[in-house]
Parts: sequence; structure tokens; C-alpha cells
Amino acid sequence: MREFEYVRAGEVGQAVAMVTADPETSYLAGGTTQLDLMKDGVLAPDRLVDITRLPLGGVTRDGDVLRVGALASMEELAADPTVAERLPFLREALLMGASPQLRNMATIGGNLLQRTRCRYFRDPAVSACNKRRRGTGCAAVQEVARMHAILGASEHCIALHPSDMAVALVALDAVVHLLGAGGSRSVPIREFYLLPGDTPDVENVLRHGELITAVEVPLLPPGARSTYLKVRDRASYEFALTSAAVALRIDGGVIGEARVAMGGVGTVPWRATTTEQMLEGSPPSPEVFAAAAELAITDPYVVPGTAFKVELAKRTVARALRTAATQGGPR
Amino acid sequence: MGASVLRPDGALKVSGEFAYSSDLWLDGMLWGATLRSPHPSAWIRSIDIGPALAMPGVYAVLTHEDVPGEKFYGLENKDQPVLAIDQVRYQGEPVALVAADHPETARRAADAIVVTYGEREAVTDPRVALERRMLVRHQPVRVGSTFSADVVVTGEYEVGMQDQAFLGPESGLAVPAEDGGVDLYIATQWLHVDQGQVAPCLGLPPEKVRLTLAGVGGAFGAREDLSMQIHASMLALRTGKPVKMVYGREESFFGHVHRHPAWMRYEHGATLDGRLVYVKAEILLDGGAYTSSSPAVVGNAASLGVGPYEVDNVHIDAYGTFTNNPPCGAMRGFGAVQACYAYESQMDRLAAACGLTPVEIRIRNAVSQGSRLATGQVVDTPAPLAEMLRDLDAMPLPESVSRDLRDLPGGVGQTTHGDGVRRGVGYGVGIKNICFSEGFDDYSTARVRVELLGGEPHVLVHTAAAEVGQGLVIIQAQIARTELGIDHVTVAPADTQVGSSGSSSASRQSYVTGGAVKTACEAVRERIEKDGRPLEVILQDGPIEETREYRHRRTFPMDPVTGQGDSHTQLALCVHRAVVDVDVELGLVKVVELAAVQDVGKILNPLALEGQIHGGTAQGLGLALMEEIQVRDGKVLNPSFTDYLIPTILDMPPMQLKILENPDPNAPYGLRGAGEPPTLSSTPAIAAAVRNATGLPLSRVPIRPQDIALA
Amino acid sequence: MRVTVTVNGEERIADDVWEGESLLYVLRERLGLPGAKNACEQGECGSCTVYLDGVPVCACLVAAGQAESRTVVTVEGLASDEGLHPVQQAFVECGAVQCGFCTPGLIVQTHALLAASEGVPSDLEIREALAGNLCRCTGYEKILDAVRQAAGRADG
Repeated sequence: MREFEYVRAGEVGQAVAMVTADPETSYLAGGTTQLDLMKDGVLAPDRLVDITRLPLGGVTRDGDVLRVGALASMEELAADPTVAERLPFLREALLMGASPQLRNMATIGGNLLQRTRCRYFRDPAVSACNKRRRGTGCAAVQEVARMHAILGASEHCIALHPSDMAVALVALDAVVHLLGAGGSRSVPIREFYLLPGDTPDVENVLRHGELITAVEVPLLPPGARSTYLKVRDRASYEFALTSAAVALRIDGGVIGEARVAMGGVGTVPWRATTTEQMLEGSPPSPEVFAAAAELAITDPYVVPGTAFKVELAKRTVARALRTAATQGGPR
Repeated sequence: MGASVLRPDGALKVSGEFAYSSDLWLDGMLWGATLRSPHPSAWIRSIDIGPALAMPGVYAVLTHEDVPGEKFYGLENKDQPVLAIDQVRYQGEPVALVAADHPETARRAADAIVVTYGEREAVTDPRVALERRMLVRHQPVRVGSTFSADVVVTGEYEVGMQDQAFLGPESGLAVPAEDGGVDLYIATQWLHVDQGQVAPCLGLPPEKVRLTLAGVGGAFGAREDLSMQIHASMLALRTGKPVKMVYGREESFFGHVHRHPAWMRYEHGATLDGRLVYVKAEILLDGGAYTSSSPAVVGNAASLGVGPYEVDNVHIDAYGTFTNNPPCGAMRGFGAVQACYAYESQMDRLAAACGLTPVEIRIRNAVSQGSRLATGQVVDTPAPLAEMLRDLDAMPLPESVSRDLRDLPGGVGQTTHGDGVRRGVGYGVGIKNICFSEGFDDYSTARVRVELLGGEPHVLVHTAAAEVGQGLVIIQAQIARTELGIDHVTVAPADTQVGSSGSSSASRQSYVTGGAVKTACEAVRERIEKDGRPLEVILQDGPIEETREYRHRRTFPMDPVTGQGDSHTQLALCVHRAVVDVDVELGLVKVVELAAVQDVGKILNPLALEGQIHGGTAQGLGLALMEEIQVRDGKVLNPSFTDYLIPTILDMPPMQLKILENPDPNAPYGLRGAGEPPTLSSTPAIAAAVRNATGLPLSRVPIRPQDIALA
Repeated sequence: MRVTVTVNGEERIADDVWEGESLLYVLRERLGLPGAKNACEQGECGSCTVYLDGVPVCACLVAAGQAESRTVVTVEGLASDEGLHPVQQAFVECGAVQCGFCTPGLIVQTHALLAASEGVPSDLEIREALAGNLCRCTGYEKILDAVRQAAGRADG
């Protein structure tokens, strides 16, 4: 780890000013990604501004919207009664996303900015990584890949977005609130993440120094059925091979509203809009779910190690739809 | 003896006060770091230590030129350089060392050393190595001449490279001594074999290299070879200061040997009613860059390659190769684990071909006392395999598919509510040699002293045997209490101030060090009895002390051409039944229950014994379902606990155990080594259960979700 | 930099702390409290679990500066003058300790589970709570026994 300066921010504006003023300064919150990557030598900021004591926590409900402070912990959000009642699949995604200890540390803002687990990105000894240094190539495409993306991917980058929570938030059309030196703005979460294209080093719309202050999450309608399903190599505490966040509103034997997003497959949390369109207006039958799931993966970019994800992801979506329809009622 | 006496280190361990090798601390100590090769195969053109030496806080930077004595070391063959000389043969090979006043400074200084490499072809496919005869050992087994039968099944099987993944990474403290020697506080499995390798490399006589066992955070074979012992000593001697070295997790993956990955081709011939006629096998084990314990691993795979079954015609070739892959060596059950997965998979195929149940085919061919193994060795102690299988089969099965979705495949991932879930049941049988084999002079030493402390007799047991977690420290105390009838027993810290106890491996310490403690206690008792006076009176004249060596029955080398020979002193059996639920659509496996029957000869401490069986079983589950060091072109792809997965508490099912006590009259108290056998049989049992649920051949472990869902 | 932190009820000061040091390093190497263990440095194994302001965290991923003026309880702080904490006692009695390297983290996490549980936790609740604590020796059976016993379950 390189030498760096550690500063504790006293208030929000000061923190934003400090980071904005210096391209080599970064925020430090829960630390579970930031410090890990600094230990590996992937990140090497000159200065860290610790924001953990800023008043950006809390989870509050305002009508049908839940406002989640960026510094609320994953555990805090998972334990919130509104989440249990009206966003059960978000709760599931949070609980499946990390061990209890890490849920206590990791913040919601930090989770949204979680970096990929691509081993080539995490190993500075590997020179070819467009995400670390634009224009150097992509070792994952050339060498062994498995825990990698098949959607939004290209020869430039197949790094997977690792968050579970963000998959549910993408399904929910959450809104991310940002504060920069020039003021605040709000970005729908689907516009927050950027596809890698030929600039995989740019992962989202954050300008340097901009801080996530909160996330607004629309609640599911009462009676909606939802589930978060995660396929992984061991029973706990492991990143997804494939996952699906599904919420359905079923009115009189017809799917009135469908929200479907996938994890483990995209360079960003992936919304399955074509699947949703097919579902809406259809009866909730296994056949419909299977057909809709078939549409979830279009134009995948696969390498030998990731080819299995195409079929596995479809099955994951189909299973999640069946599960949500039959079991995913309010608990 | 036979009671669940609580281990004396337990209270220290639960309160955080037990001093592991990474916890040691001395005023003014320095931190060591290692620079390792990024290449699996390269010439070293030059090493420039200048930039590292110039960094503030750096006290020493050492290369092969600074190795004071012999430049090579090794367990069985001294072929491994202390520090790479003109070439590197695997990724992670140590090239240079640094001592600095802060671990981060040491790491940065190591990074500042400039090494110029000339990369060259790496041989990383063991099949290529076999063709080129780059062999550490080839051991054939040849018996009989009938190699045709009514029923023939063939199969090719693979076992991935498993890691011991102990929790406490390699670490230790080297302290320079006034006599020019060094005191080394270290986590290891065998103090004396370390001493025997460290001293020559330091150019010191053995008595100037004193080793004391520090707290050991698990071993499982990974501490049989040296890691940082010579390195820390070199830095301490050079700087004149205590030097501590602690590997991080990633470095640990490069700092110890792994379980040999294996490629196996088997052909089993049987009569129509399922009696084995012959077994042909080719077993290829990749030993990687250096010898380590590969010869013994190959020997086990060959001698135990047909499993605990009677068969008159055997044709086995077991090979260990040299490649530019990470060195492989000792891990719990070595050689036998890999073969067991293959021969048990074959027994299931044979059962299907003969229309028999997996239990029945095994019972029909089971060894028993008096059976002859493929090596010609006669099983001369109880081997009640058929009875064990019947006991296992009679154990109640868990109820049908659970209603709690969190108990289903995917677990808390709640992937299924019963959709696509199929149950499977599978069996596995394993046989493992206990203690060192093939003519090795295998012994242990114990010093037992009885003295008056506060007017009461106390026993001090002193051995060099390494407590690595298995509970040896309580077994030694129990033996002393039993033999001497004295309650106050202390087991002294293990060090090299007493004779060798051999390694804490091959499930041997209860047998050999247990035997040594027992024998030394008997010698003390004899003196007391001979004296005739009451003990308290005798001890007023001074302490009674006796030191004894204990050897198990002699073993013999395997014939290099036929593999014949009484190569093992004791054999142990374990059988497992696995019940799994498999989500066949998503490829997820939930092990619902594991049941095991093991014959341990004599139970010394039920609590410790059960812990060994549970733990060994868990490592077998890991190999079956998730654990593999992925190596591509000689490079390790997953050297972290994020990417190398070991079972969590959510992966392990409840277990049922039945423990038999058929004594081995040759062993102290009739005991049988117990630590390794469960690691053999749980892997094939789980694989068989998954096959039973899915109908898939699944010829490779670990089995991954995609192997099931997208087969 | 200087870090002041209340550890096991006592205010402790560590001087000359380098910014990149973790809370775990400060506890182990500067404050003489090696109970929390360093096994993976990545938050993957739970061996370094300590309470930070009453919440169990992986001390390896807490930057030293983040602990300033906060309250830490380590495994060394759980026993009292009367002896081991019941969780610790149960681990010893049930054979849940072999090599013991994972034990301090498991003790703290179990302590937290039982402190937070209303009523007696089920096996599944225990498994979920301890899923971030890797153990390589025991196969977890005896650990479950210990937690059941510490929780006062009849089957403990």
C-alpha cells in the first residue's frame, strides 16, 4: 500500500470541496472495497477523506418512497421494517450480499460503487486491464474467465458488476442523489451506471468529487410479489454466478407490472426490459415465465469460460419468476 | 483414557491469549518480506537490490548469494533452492528477502528490488511431462495375469488441486543468539525435520538452531515443507535482530505445497455377480516444480490404488511428474484421496453394470482380516469393512425433501422452493495407511518426569510432537494420567531440546508419540515399583525421569517393478454415506446429511476424535463441491479466500457418526490413526450422491453448478 | 498519526500509526492485543471480528483512523474476573476449538448473535449468523453444539 494522507471530514461541504479540489483524493466510507483495493495496489490515492462521521445515514419513509442515506449500513437497511414489508427482495439481496460483519461495515453508497471482482483488475501485476488503465487491453478476454459478464461486455472489458443490492435497486428504479461542488442532482440508477464501451475505467456518471448522499427507493405496491434469487458456488458469502431480482404485481390472473433485473451477467446491474414487456399483460404461467426468460439474454458477449451463463441466467430468471409468482407474497 | 477430557489449551484459545506464531513480539524486532517470482519458468538475468537497500527503515536485503550454507533444501530430496539462483521454476518461488522496521516498509522494499527475467517455455501439462519422462517417481504394481472379465467398466477421472487452507498463515520469529546460532519460534508439523533442513543452509551445527513450537493455526500437511524458517533465520543472523515473518493469505497460497491434482484412468473387470477380477489403473499426479513429498504420495496412490477390496489381478502405474506448476506435496490423506475418488467412482459404475446396490458391490469385495492387498501385504489386524457398510446402511436416512427453503439447494440464496430438486444418496469407502511407510525409520521420543511440586507428585511430559489443532496435547496428558495414576500432568512446550517425534501427519501422532509417552511412563512406573517405597517418599530423593523412543512395526519398500512389499504398518478404514438434494436446473447441491462409520481401534478422547472426523469430512466436502486452486499456464488464478472457496457453516450438513473399536494389537491401546480416513471417503460419497440425483457421469471434482445444470 | 481508542473499557493511545494500518494491526502490534487474528486481510474469514461501537466488524478492513475515539471490544475483553464468558466456556466444553485460529472471531460473532437474539436461535439462525466465519478444522458440528449450549438450548 502506498503512503497516503488520512483526513476526517467534519461536514459534508468540506468533504466535497476537499475531494473535488484534488484528483488524487478519494472518499473513504465503510472501507470494505476501498481498503481492500489499496492493499492490492489497485488504488493508490494520495489522500483519503473519511466521511463515516458525516450525517448521511438513516433510513426514512416518505409515503411510497424510502429514503436511504448513503452511509446507512447494509445491515441497517436490511433490518428496516419498511424494507421487510414492502421491499422484501431488496432485503434478501442485502442479506445474500455479504457476511454479517461486512454488512455492518459496508454502506449503501459504497455498495453502489463496489468494484468488480475480476481477478485481472485486482492484480496490478497483470498489465492488460482497460479498467485499470485505458488502452492496455483485457486479460480476461484472452485468458481464463468465469466470474465475468456476458451483457454489456466487449473485447474491451468483461468485468462483472458484483453488487446484489444494486440489482434489486435497478429493478426498483431507485434514484441516486449526488452532491458536487456545483450543487446537487439526482440520477435514475439505470442512468447512473455506464456501459464500459471502450472506456471501462469510467463506471458511472459521478464526476470527481461528487458524493452519493442518498438513494430513493420507490416501494413496491402492497401485495406485490418479489424474490431475489442467487446462484453461487457455495451456500453463503460468495458472489453470484447468476442472480435475478423479480417483482410482480398480479391482478386478476394477469401480470400487471413486472420488474426483472439480473446480476452476475452484466458489466452493470442489468434490467431485463424485453422480458418485462412480454410478461406484462400475460398470465403468470410457467410457460410464459420460460418464454419471457428466454428474452432476458440477447446478444451476449461470451468467452469460453462464461458461455454457461447464457443458459444459466435464463433458468435463473425463469425460476425467480415462478418463485415470485407462487411464493413471493408479502411476508 | 476414553473420556472427553477437555484440552488444556482451550481456555487460552477462546480468550485470545494463546500465542500463535504470528502473535510473537519482541522489542526492536524487524519484519521480513519475500520477493517471489511472477513467472512459472524463467532465467534470472540480474538482481539489483540497490533501490531496496536505499529505503529508510530497511536493514537487510538478501539473495541466494547470502545463503550462508547449503543452497538447497527439501524433505525427501534437497532440490529446492533457499532463494532462486539462476532460474525460477514456479510462480511464487522466493527470489529475495527484506528485513525492515515495519511490515509495509518491508513489502515495499521487496517490490523495489529489480529482477530481470528471461522467460522461457514452461512445462505445465503433466501429460507432456510424462511423455518427456520428467518423473519424480513411477511406481508400478503388478500382480496376477488375468485381465479379462465378463463385466468391464472403464472411467477417466480428475481431481483438482486442493489447498490445505489452514486459517493461520505461515509465520514465525527468528531470534539471533549469543552463541552465533538462532532460536526459531515457529508453526510447523515436525520440528526436527525443520532443524535438519535449516541448520545446513545456515551453515550451523544443529545444536545452534533451536526450534520451539509456537501456536499452530492448522496444518493439514501444508507445514510439512519449510516456508519462512530459513529466510527469517538468515535475516536475523544478518541484522543481529529478531525478525518476524508473517505471510498474508495470498502469499500463503504461494508459500506452501498443495494437494496433487490427479488424472486417472481405471478399468475394472468383474464377474457377473460383481466380484472383482482385475483392476487396471494409470494414476498421474502432478508434483509441480520440486520433489517435496511426491515420492510418498505416488507410493500411496499405487499401494492403495484399488481401495479396500480383494482383487487378484492388478496392474497399476502411478506417476508423479515434475512441471512448472506450483509444488505439490502433503495434504491430509495424500495419494490415497485422489485414488479413492477414482476407485469409488468405478465401484459405483460396476454396481450399476452388475445390477447391484452400491453397498452390496462393496460388501462383496470388501477386505477383511487376512485379505491380501495388491502389494501382497496381508491385512493382519481387524478390517471389518463389510460390517461397517452394513452399519452405515442401517443408519436412519434424513427425512424427505425439506420444507424450509433455506435447507434446500442454494440455501439462503433461496433459489428453489422444491422446483427441480432431486435427492441422491451415495457411498464412499476409503483405506489409508497410518504412520510413515515404505521402510522409513518412523519413531517418536518422549521424556517423562515425575517430581514433587508443593508436596504433590506432578508429571511433566516433554516431546517434540507438534500440536497443530488435532488435540495431541490432551492425548499425551491422558496417557500419562492413565499410566501413572497421577492427576497433575503438564505437557511441556514442544521443542528440539528433546528427541524427534516425527511429523504431525499421516494420522500418526497418537500412535507413535502416544506410544512413546506410554513407554516412557511405563519406565518411570517400573522404577517406582522396583523401589517399593511410596511415591511421595521416593520423590523426596529427587525427580524420576525417563526418556524413551517408540517405533512402530518395521515397514518395507515397494518393489520398484512389481510394487510388492509390506509397505504399511497400519491401515485404517472409513465409510461415508452422503445424502444430497440437487437443484438440477440451476446446478446447486445441498448436502443434507453425511453419515460415517470409522474403526479407530480404541477411542482415546471422544470429543477430539469426533472433531477429527467432522473436520476431515468437511475437507472432503470441499474437494467434492468447491475447492480448487485454478492454475493456468503455471499461474495461480485464485490465491485468496474470495476466490478459493472452502465450506462455510452453511455448507456443512449435520453428521451422524458411528465409531467402532476393533483393536490393532500392534498399536498402543489398540488405537488406529483417525485424522485422514474421513477425508478420503466423504468426497466420493458426495460425488456419488450427486450422480445418483442427476444421472450424470461427473468424472471430475470439484463439481461446479455448470457441470450439473449444463451437462 | 496518533489514534486514541477505548479498548475493552480502557482508553488506549497508539502513536506513530501509519495511515495504512488497519484497526487489526493497531490492536495486534501496537496495543498488545493479538487475540483478533489475521487470516485473510480481506474480510473473507471473520477471524479478526471485534466489536466497533457495539457492532461486530472485520478489523482488517477498518482503517486505523476510522477507529479514533470509538469503542472497541476484542475477544480479550469478554472474560470477566469470575472467569470465561459462557460463550467461551461452551466452546471449550463442546470441543469447538481445535487449532483455534478462527475461534476468537467466532466467539465475538457468537457473543453478538446471542446478545441480539430474542429467544433462542434456531440452527439455521446460528448458521446464518456465523456464515462469515471460516473454520478449517472442525467441520462446524462442535461449533454448533457450543452455540446451542451457550444459548441455553436443551440440546446444547
